[in-house]
Amino acid sequence: MHRRGVGLAAFDRKQTTKRFEELSNSISQSQVTHLNNQLTQFRTALTHFASTHRDKIKSDPSFRHAFQQMCTSIGVDPLAGPRKGGWWAELLGLGDWQYELGVQIVDVCVSTRERNGGLIEMAELIRMVSKLRGVSGGSITEDDIVQSIKTLEPLGAGYQVVDISGRKMVRSVVKELDDDQTTILGLAQEHGGRVVEDMLIQRRQWSRERARTALENMLLRDGLCWLDDQDEEYGRAYWVTSAMKWEA
Amino acid sequence: MALSTHTTSTGWDSVLKACNKVNEHILGFLLPSIHSAPPFFTQQPNPATEAIVIEQWTKLILSYARHRNLFYLRVEDAETGGDWDEVLRNDRINRRLPPAHLSSILAGMVAKNVASYEPAKQTRSVLLYWRLPEEWAEVLHQWASTTGQMNTIMTFYEITDPPVNSPLTNIPLPLLRKAITILAKSNRAQIIAIADGEGVRFFTPAK
Repeated sequence: MHRRGVGLAAFDRKQTTKRFEELSNSISQSQVTHLNNQLTQFRTALTHFASTHRDKIKSDPSFRHAFQQMCTSIGVDPLAGPRKGGWWAELLGLGDWQYELGVQIVDVCVSTRERNGGLIEMAELIRMVSKLRGVSGGSITEDDIVQSIKTLEPLGAGYQVVDISGRKMVRSVVKELDDDQTTILGLAQEHGGRVVEDMLIQRRQWSRERARTALENMLLRDGLCWLDDQDEEYGRAYWVTSAMKWEA
Repeated sequence: MALSTHTTSTGWDSVLKACNKVNEHILGFLLPSIHSAPPFFTQQPNPATEAIVIEQWTKLILSYARHRNLFYLRVEDAETGGDWDEVLRNDRINRRLPPAHLSSILAGMVAKNVASYEPAKQTRSVLLYWRLPEEWAEVLHQWASTTGQMNTIMTFYEITDPPVNSPLTNIPLPLLRKAITILAKSNRAQIIAIADGEGVRFFTPAK
């Protein structure tokens, strides 16, 4: 019987393994160094990009949009706060910009909540936020609003963009809109804000009971609409404030 | 409501008033857009909503009263018509403010101290404070001072119906009395009994 692994050959094999290990170590070492270099380069390039385009990112909505899309495609979150990959946000100052917009959105939503029951149309929100920012703030888009609302998420304030019969609205109350309410809001949009029981019965085939309950809930419980008891046609009409057009 | 009486001189006030008069003829009073919203005229069953409605009506009533120099608002104004028609009804959308709703708006205004029931002990008529009594006191003192009426005795009539129109022309007596009482507290006026009723003497405050 010949035992394998004894003698010079075996010694050589051990040596070879050790060499390979060393080699692999040095290769990964150089790879890490290389990677570090690349990262540094990337960071430099980014710093450069940021310092060159920061103002443009803040002031030009279409550029901002393109930039945000680029970020998404390379898997970087431009809004990551100082605690996660903060240098990115700090570099761009975009975090601040977005938070500032967020604060303005909250401002508008809260100050109009009384008269719209916490539901505001996207276009109206953009108009009022723009007014708040003044001319120097640069124009803002629906996209910016959606992004900013995302940054508000950790606050748990329940800000949400909802789609009501093809129209985007921002909801600032923590309240689920049920299907019936969504239907009513949609109908109100089409009629300048006015909804009556019979509209729901005729157009949506609701029972009178269902129509009345849904409307009365919106009126008394949620404050989403106002009552008009002088309606010429039906005597009692409901006006959804977020679908009405008037200045405070 | 713009509270600018402390810096407003008599001259500026009459310019403003003249401007308002001109505006009224050319443009009329500019009603806020909420006045065209049908549900604005209905008393809201939701208390939070009704609070907003009352707040908006308060604003509208005070600015209209200031604009037209109106001092009183009565529940009857919603019933019979008169000075307040332009505000209390909107014929374009065929809505009017029901007297009961007006009555609760008046109560809201009294609670906020922008009006007071006048006469007291009833709730159908209010005196409107588009200037607070404290502000009227300043206007009054300023007027007495710029027209050289210091230290002389004046009748109330001379104040409410002066030969040259002043910001105080037609000011209701209860309001005038309140303003004088406020001035008296800081020794800037004194109510004096005269032959045919009451009079007042203004003083320059000791510096």
